[in-house]
Amino acid sequence: MTLREKIESNRFILCGEIGPPQSCDGDFIREKSRHFKGFVDAVNITDNQTAIAKLSSIASAKILLDEGVEPIMQMTCRDRNRLAIQSDLMGAAALGLRNVLCLTGDYQTFGDHPEAKGVFDLDSIQLIAAVAKMNSGFLLSGREMKKPSEFLIGAAANPFAEPFEMRLIRLYKKVNAGARFIQTQPVFDLETFSRWMEKVVEMGLAEKAAILAGVMPPKSAKTLLIMKAEVPGVKINEEYIQRMKNARDPKEEGVKMAVEIIRTLKQMKGVRGIHLMPVLWESITPVIVKEAGLNSLNENTT
Amino acid sequence: MPMDLATLNKPPITARERKFSRLILFFEDLVKVPLFRCQRCGECILSSTAFICCQRCPKRLRNGPCGGTGEDGSCEVFPERKCVWYKIYYRSKWLHRISLLYKVNKIHNWNLERTSTWLNVFKKRIDAPILFVRNDKQKVKDLIVDDAQREN
Repeated sequence: MTLREKIESNRFILCGEIGPPQSCDGDFIREKSRHFKGFVDAVNITDNQTAIAKLSSIASAKILLDEGVEPIMQMTCRDRNRLAIQSDLMGAAALGLRNVLCLTGDYQTFGDHPEAKGVFDLDSIQLIAAVAKMNSGFLLSGREMKKPSEFLIGAAANPFAEPFEMRLIRLYKKVNAGARFIQTQPVFDLETFSRWMEKVVEMGLAEKAAILAGVMPPKSAKTLLIMKAEVPGVKINEEYIQRMKNARDPKEEGVKMAVEIIRTLKQMKGVRGIHLMPVLWESITPVIVKEAGLNSLNENTT
Repeated sequence: MPMDLATLNKPPITARERKFSRLILFFEDLVKVPLFRCQRCGECILSSTAFICCQRCPKRLRNGPCGGTGEDGSCEVFPERKCVWYKIYYRSKWLHRISLLYKVNKIHNWNLERTSTWLNVFKKRIDAPILFVRNDKQKVKDLIVDDAQREN
């Protein structure tokens, strides 16, 4: 069963995430994929996240596909103009990749090549619309393609950034442009998230696109502090940081916290799945899946 | 079929028009640079961004803020600045023009950089500005309800 079929059949979705390495080592992806195979429905492959040059997301996604894990290829607008985006998408489609997550991309000065020229020819909403157009058989120039793409389009949402209403407007635009699933930033503030979710359901967006709430199991208190200080647009409740600081075994506490958050999210109206982001800690995925009782959902599907 | 997503070179810009455009741009700049801090993208959407030029955004986003706006509305790239879309949102609220933020703005045509928007509107390359918005709140409601009904 593909991710598209699972989303259409209203199953509870679980996604993972792998960041490709900063080297030419394809085995790195193969190794990491073992932590996800059989436990999650699909795995995100980041595209030069935080503007650091990494193994390309298309190549990594193809490696993952060959390993028998369904990839979600991320595509950012920072590194490509419309020619490159469309050509990369055609190439990805030809390789058999079916899921694409459309993002604007972090600004280049955050990464390891701060001197680079950022492209930003399109923004994420325009990218979603462009992919939708390619699905209908047309390129941005208006030319027709003989064989249209069949991408399942995803997008990201940040419920925690200001202004609150503007986030909903962005989501509305993304869903109407053609996004069929939405992955959110990691939730460390359940109160804001439930307020956002309520509004999303009220606007009827949760029916049109599957909302997958982001969950990140923290490895230590330091991880959370770094995230809070350096990753833009992440909001972390002080309570969680204190809990991690006071924990005797921070790793165990991190898992416990992630499981708690997943349980609460599962109860929330409109949440159709979880997007697990075990950054640099992929090996923990099976444990969390088991502890949170998500295993039964995915056993018979993969 | 699919809506027009990108602003195309239609009609094409001739060399003669470019020269003329530069002349008009001189006068346009006199108004728009001091008033709106215009960045001369040539494809003005000031009217749908509550008369704040959104091209001041480092990523030059035309469809709303990226995910990095700080809690105090600061820009993720230059924390000492306010996110321009943060300003646009509050100005739109104040001017009752929120419904315009729901519109998807087209992909920018980079050939129009440093050309006169006024001339481009006249030549029908780009949409004319929307000057007045009535019943903003109702329009927003209609947008959301309309889509819900279309689904059914």
